[in-house]
Amino acid sequence: MGLRDPRRLSRRQFGLLGTQVAGATVAILLGIPIVGFILSPLFRRQPVAEATVGDISNVPDRQPTKFVVQFPAGDWTSAKVNAAVYVVRTGSDLKIFSNTCTHMQCPVHWDASLNEFLCPCHGGLYDMDGRNVGGPPPKPLPQYVHRLDGTTLYVENRFTESL
Amino acid sequence: MIRERVASAYNWFDERTAVRSLVRKGLYEAVPVRGSWFYTLGSATLILILLQLITGIFLTMLYVPSVTEAWASLEFLKQHDAFGSIVRGIHLWSAYVLLFVLGLHMIRTFFSGSYKRPRELNWVTGTGLFVLVLGMAITGAFLPWDQAAYWTAVVVTNIPAYTPLIGSFVRALWRGGDFVGPVTLVRTFGIHVWLIPVILFPLIGAHLALLRKHGEHGSYVNYLGAYRAREGVDVPPAPKQRPIEPPYPAAPSEEVWAAPLETEDFYPHQTFKDGIVSAVLVVVVFVLAVAIGAPLEAIADPSTTNYTPVPEWFYLPLDQLLVLVPQQLIGLSLVLPAGGVVVMLLLPFIDRGPERNPFERPAVMVPGAFAVLFVVILTLLGSGRLFNQ
Repeated sequence: MGLRDPRRLSRRQFGLLGTQVAGATVAILLGIPIVGFILSPLFRRQPVAEATVGDISNVPDRQPTKFVVQFPAGDWTSAKVNAAVYVVRTGSDLKIFSNTCTHMQCPVHWDASLNEFLCPCHGGLYDMDGRNVGGPPPKPLPQYVHRLDGTTLYVENRFTESL
Repeated sequence: MIRERVASAYNWFDERTAVRSLVRKGLYEAVPVRGSWFYTLGSATLILILLQLITGIFLTMLYVPSVTEAWASLEFLKQHDAFGSIVRGIHLWSAYVLLFVLGLHMIRTFFSGSYKRPRELNWVTGTGLFVLVLGMAITGAFLPWDQAAYWTAVVVTNIPAYTPLIGSFVRALWRGGDFVGPVTLVRTFGIHVWLIPVILFPLIGAHLALLRKHGEHGSYVNYLGAYRAREGVDVPPAPKQRPIEPPYPAAPSEEVWAAPLETEDFYPHQTFKDGIVSAVLVVVVFVLAVAIGAPLEAIADPSTTNYTPVPEWFYLPLDQLLVLVPQQLIGLSLVLPAGGVVVMLLLPFIDRGPERNPFERPAVMVPGAFAVLFVVILTLLGSGRLFNQ
């Protein structure tokens, strides 16, 4: 025993090393695909979809008007999901808002008596131009990427600025 | 004749499994005599979690975790399955009662100083269980995919977005994209029925194993330390412990707090109290499940402009923080709860003195009482919103 070369692995050290290598192999082979699977939505791009809001020639000036459009619910499902579109016309200027509050993403609505967009969750307020003018919202009301073809409005399922 | 047959079968089984000593160890452990109605909070928590497990297993036999089917499957349950509706009602109401009883269990443990040496890890595992149960409650709230569930999902998955640097990354990870959608629901379902339970239940096992290792602490009045202070005698009575499986070690440094002075057998004395309290709670849950049931609102509609999302009651203190915290300090609504959990985890290592009597350790009791009061006040401030739709 005493004559063993210290540079050589003992039977015991060899066993320990083998166990660790086996365990690490299993952990890596399982870990890589599982972590990749969990992270994969971050690397998938949601396809851009466009929905028709309709003819907006009748939207009155300075009076936010709500439309409801349908976007694909996304991923594997063929179902559609509703989205609210607020069209705000101020003279020749046109703004197309979402109902998504920038604080906690609750559904805001136009409150005619306040003359502001009100979020019912935590009392966030936005003026007609979408500026966050009261309560906790940190950013202005999000606007849809949109295009106007004559008087027909189309919106995409994305905002001009990410939330 | 039959008795002998049964006894013989039991002997056969015991020879192969040692089940007899397990049962004796389980039933005839010594527990402190005084304060034992308060220990029923722990067993009631366990019973209510098991109720969750059982009803949850059966709910998966109807519920479909998909944005197109989830609400419809529960609407079908509501319309066409009276017993299934009761099962869902029990699942919901026992969750509510569980959160309440769990809170009382923690407060009891805190005031009695039961987290002190050698039970620090009982408290640490218990804190972990508390966080996991809250995780179960919040993920469960997403699943019906009605308006309440949908907006809870939107708001709750948005909260991590306020974490510096990795915030929107964490949000996208949970949602499975930038917005709440099909992946959000099925991920949350997976977290609710598998990911958290496979951590939660082994942790319950560890919590119980530690309880059995160190024994019930009970009330400080059971101990030599308090006896000396109270009676002013230096030669106290010897501990009157049961002969079977006394779990109490005599740690040399804290001898006066090591073992209670008077104990009784877990079975049937403690099991009687545990049984009564748990049975009353189960009856209450059942009555609520039948009388009120689990609500199901209209199907999720992201385009709504007349729905007021209202947080679940157990989530009110957090949501009230969101209301109160100014826009520039929004991180506080994350930091305060996270900090609270960290302080809870560290509590046994901060409050290390041997004294168990709550009236003798104001340095811990006063901040603790204020913390409880803070949560209660936040809840009360937010509670108006439950009725104000």
